[in-house]
Amino acid sequence: MSIIAYSTILFIALLGAPIFAVMSALALTAFYFSGVELSAVSVEIYRLASAPTILTIPLFTFAGYVLAESKAPVRLLRLSQAMLGWMPGGVAIVCLFICAFFTAFTGASGVTIIALGGLLYPILIQEGYSEKFSLGLITTCGSLGLLFPPSLPIILYGIIAKVDIDQLFLAGLIPGFVLMFILGAYAVYNARHIEKKKQSFSFTEMKAALWEARYELPLPVFVLGGIYGGFVTATEASALSAFYALFANTVLTKDLSISRDVPKVIVESLTLVGAILLILCCALGLTNYLVDEEIPMKILEAMRSFITDKYLFLFVLNIFLLIVGCLMDIFSAIIVVVPLILPIAEQFGVNPLHLAIVFLTNLEIGYITPPVGINLFISSFRFNRPVLELYKVSIPYLILMLIALIIITYIPMLTLIWFN
Amino acid sequence: MEKIVTAFDDVLEKISRWGIIGCLYVILSGAVLSIVLRWLGMSPSWLEPLIRHLVFLSAFFGGSLATSKNVHIKVDLLTKVVEASNSKILHWLHRNLVSFFCLIVTTVLMKSAYDFFLVEKEFGTEAFLHIHSSWLVGIIPFGMGLIALRFLNQLILGLMKGDAREHHRV
Repeated sequence: MSIIAYSTILFIALLGAPIFAVMSALALTAFYFSGVELSAVSVEIYRLASAPTILTIPLFTFAGYVLAESKAPVRLLRLSQAMLGWMPGGVAIVCLFICAFFTAFTGASGVTIIALGGLLYPILIQEGYSEKFSLGLITTCGSLGLLFPPSLPIILYGIIAKVDIDQLFLAGLIPGFVLMFILGAYAVYNARHIEKKKQSFSFTEMKAALWEARYELPLPVFVLGGIYGGFVTATEASALSAFYALFANTVLTKDLSISRDVPKVIVESLTLVGAILLILCCALGLTNYLVDEEIPMKILEAMRSFITDKYLFLFVLNIFLLIVGCLMDIFSAIIVVVPLILPIAEQFGVNPLHLAIVFLTNLEIGYITPPVGINLFISSFRFNRPVLELYKVSIPYLILMLIALIIITYIPMLTLIWFN
Repeated sequence: MEKIVTAFDDVLEKISRWGIIGCLYVILSGAVLSIVLRWLGMSPSWLEPLIRHLVFLSAFFGGSLATSKNVHIKVDLLTKVVEASNSKILHWLHRNLVSFFCLIVTTVLMKSAYDFFLVEKEFGTEAFLHIHSSWLVGIIPFGMGLIALRFLNQLILGLMKGDAREHHRV
């Protein structure tokens, strides 16, 4: 009977039922067959209201959406071009930086490609980059800043795995730059054939661009400086960021109207947040059940027969997470998979912070992995190209990201250098 | 019938939209206020739980909006196969089956949350600002009920028309 129930739920999940409903159905079924009162699922759901870091999710997302809706992308693009445009491959590197900035704030929810794609693509083509290179770059960049603070997946990971979010923010910095460096090197390599004259460095232009972007530049300072300077917690930093982004764009730059644009931004950003939080709270019942039933330990026992050391475990984990990243979106993957692998990784001696960064890098790669990497579909929609074309253009980037993944996985020092 | 369902759904949409906008403004003001008060050496004990519960409430408003816009996070491997086929019956069956499944799940969740609410009403205590804990727990049946109603509307409209995809708000 239980097998029929679980199979039906899984079938409907594959048909496209919302993950929160699938999680709830699995939890309700599991509790029912265990003879536990169904109201226990609601008790688990209510646990979300007592998570102290829950506030960071809506506020950082709102701040990111406010920035994406305003003219901040144009101002930051001008600044990045003034600072880096003179370099070989400079414009492509500008794309990397600006996309990383926006993805970190919007949580790789597709906003980066939608908001910046139309802006960056013509610039890349104008500079002489091929369509193939430009499309692939923007598609990949749509999830590039995922390891940088205050990325939503990092916060979610911290909540689920009970790892300190401030430490996670630090842990992701160098691996994030490794990814950017590798993609930047590829951009420079691709720029070698471009005949077009390079933009020369202009101090006056940089000064003007800096002045224009004066209201956006303090934001990373609020987040990083505030948290690591010991002035505010991650939760407080999210409140200050959201308040500042709103104030700067409605009062100082007047990019957004408080009555017309802001309600629209609130609805858009909190719809995404609602969808994520619903999964989060509905999954609490299921993950609690799995942990109670010692499912991770049973998996561990099964794995021990053929996985003998940490490095082999990390290798198998990468393969597994790449498959997960191809099939599931990042938020569901974090909520479902983290509670299962966390105790196993601990048994193999993997540092929780290192595990977090390896995990998130894998899922970052999942965004551009065919057949269902979400960035491929968003780009296909945004640039009106067949998704098969996106599959092809993303392959070189996929290989580069995999190289970065190997580096991040097997050199834990990159993640752990900040900690004793 | 269709007009009534659509009008009712519009009311739910407005409740969710204004609810979420109101929640965000209160959450943001409250969070900034708590930082300022902390710097001034004051930290009212009720502010932080109040904000957390508003975030909790906004999750359900957001879930209701995500339902109407059909932007819930999902693993839609078979959806693409169904969408690739031009069979209207298959589209109709697919959409309505998913809506029906979600309606059942959210209704059961609402009932289980209501049971939890009743238990809390009997055995709960005052949480903060003289608010009884059962009212806080009551967010779940309210939220789940709201989402269940959106799925119900979606299902009714989907059953009445050939292709339910027409009904998703953009």
